[in-house]
Amino acid sequence: MLPKYDILTDEQIQTIHDNTMRILQEVGVEFSYEPAIEIFRKHGQKVDGHRVYFDREFVEEMVEGAPSEFTLHARNPEHNLICGGNNTIFMPGYGAPFIHDVDGNRRNATIQDYDNFVKLAGASKNLHMTGGNVVEPQDVPDETRHMSMMYSHITNSDKCFMGSASGYEKAKDSIEITALLHGGLDVIKENPALVCLVNSVTPLKFDDRMLGGLMAYAEAGQATIIASLVMSGSTGPATIAGALSVQNAEVLAGITLGQCINPGTPVIYGSTSAITDMASGALAIGNPECALFISASAQLARFYGVPSRGGGGLTDSKIVDAQSGYESMMTLFAASATGINFVLHSAGILQYYMAMSFEKFMQDDEIAGMVSRYIKGIDMTEDKLAFDVISKVGPGGHYLTQKHTRKNFKVEFYKPSLSDRQSYDGWANNKLTANQRGNQKWQDVVENYVSPVLDPDVKQKIDEYIAKRSKELL
Amino acid sequence: MSIIFDEIKEAVIDGDEDLAVELAEKVIAEGLDLVEAIEKGYIKGIEEVGASWKTGEAFLPDVMMAADAMKTGMGILEAELAAQGGKEHEDKGKIVLGTVEGDIHDIGKNIVGALLTAAGFKVYDIGIDQKPEAFVAKADEVGATIIAASSLLTTTMRAQGELIEYLKEKGIRDKYKVIIGGGPTSQKWANEIKADGWVETADEAIVLCKELLA
Repeated sequence: MLPKYDILTDEQIQTIHDNTMRILQEVGVEFSYEPAIEIFRKHGQKVDGHRVYFDREFVEEMVEGAPSEFTLHARNPEHNLICGGNNTIFMPGYGAPFIHDVDGNRRNATIQDYDNFVKLAGASKNLHMTGGNVVEPQDVPDETRHMSMMYSHITNSDKCFMGSASGYEKAKDSIEITALLHGGLDVIKENPALVCLVNSVTPLKFDDRMLGGLMAYAEAGQATIIASLVMSGSTGPATIAGALSVQNAEVLAGITLGQCINPGTPVIYGSTSAITDMASGALAIGNPECALFISASAQLARFYGVPSRGGGGLTDSKIVDAQSGYESMMTLFAASATGINFVLHSAGILQYYMAMSFEKFMQDDEIAGMVSRYIKGIDMTEDKLAFDVISKVGPGGHYLTQKHTRKNFKVEFYKPSLSDRQSYDGWANNKLTANQRGNQKWQDVVENYVSPVLDPDVKQKIDEYIAKRSKELL
Repeated sequence: MSIIFDEIKEAVIDGDEDLAVELAEKVIAEGLDLVEAIEKGYIKGIEEVGASWKTGEAFLPDVMMAADAMKTGMGILEAELAAQGGKEHEDKGKIVLGTVEGDIHDIGKNIVGALLTAAGFKVYDIGIDQKPEAFVAKADEVGATIIAASSLLTTTMRAQGELIEYLKEKGIRDKYKVIIGGGPTSQKWANEIKADGWVETADEAIVLCKELLA
């Protein structure tokens, strides 16, 4: 495994930290959720209306108490994941309302799209989780959508997945259903099986909906990503150092709240900060500035001793093309090389999180495989140094028929599944672009996918829970 | 006399709100022609910024700060004009703009507001998390014909539909053109809730408003 690359010096990290502490102390953060305000008041923080001014020592102590890594448990223990340390976890995009098809046409996402993305992630060798909220399925009712999404993850795969954080009630449903899957609330409290995404409202605010989710997850001992998306230039300063400080203040405030609710509860330091396109005001994510935010965030999380979330196959392109490829490679590579642990949005995202695409998913799955191979680094053990076979072949021979070759090439070489390495004539038979190949490939994968069997008793319990709650909610 | 009008124009182009206010007060103190100050100073300035935006020379901070400087400075002269019983400066149309109930996002809305202002419309921004009643009250007060409702979340989009339903219930649907926008919205959604228009970008909003008021 390659060592993780630092882009800031220790002194620069300390400078960002000091600037952040000054923001938390002198500017403060606004919380619209009353129970959160109450908690901070109880912990002796200065509260003025909805604004909380933090003591530096208090924040540092609380952040210190958060675990540096934790295991996320899957229905199939083979898919358990360690979140933290040198580990990188890849999963699909999150939250997009639209699908862009192979020709670049846009439509609303449906629950069938949802199932298909979960299956693709379940089948992928490069993605470790099936993610959460992989699209926003607009054909199922808003009130019960969170349960429809959970159900898709549970029935279509046995990898880890994410739950809803959209308010206390929906978060509770996610936790209850996961408890049914794993054998009880006690079991998952001991062995976290669910992770949710809590976003700040930049600059320097947290809303009710998200904080309700954070409360529910922290109480149940489930993991929470506290994420900030600073749009440098619009929702934050136009300087990277300034925007990074705003992001850091928000994330540390959120982590502090989580630790107040349940000391030691697993949290992940999240960043999706990027820049504002000054010609339209839109978010722009497929760029070097975003890669800098990702890289600095990985390092800040290391500094605070918590796992990190950031990056992904990020692009502003609307279709699988050269732009989608080079932008996604830059941001996924930056995340992996600098040590981001939890890479939401690894596959499928187009147009700054607005859309998912099946073809893009296949493109990013390939990028994820390539990047994973790269960060695995060079195996330097004796057999790999290959002196014996070098001596056997000698000058002028070839290695194609050596046992050493046969034994090693499959381990050493990443085998592409989307890239075209054919001869000109081979390619010219059909002249397919990566977009077109991705289109054929994802349909093949979905068609041949077999969902892992779910214990019928467990399934029945989950079905009953969802039926009962749906009746109450609709 | 024309020097101060040039200064006003430059203050707007520079997005210097303080100076735009100072100059408005000077115009009043010196008893200059208010309408001339509006047209040769503030409007001229914002027109130039609008032109640079079109050619891609100006960016959002340039346009938004210019729109702020213009609105604040010109607001002082308009209030004075009203106090003197003078005739209102003629605009290209009045638009009430806001983010729908339950949604607190305002950047996209502010961009639309600034660009519409730069294009010569009179924009009344009622802010975020606004009920249908608030849109209508403002539109009534200022005599606006377009109501523009923004939403960034799939969960608050339906409040755009509720705004239209509210107008129908009150029997005033035909009084206004309702246009919608925001991340998760689409032409399909606009058709579904029977909005009068939808566009994806702020630039397109200018074209749409011009069409609706033609």
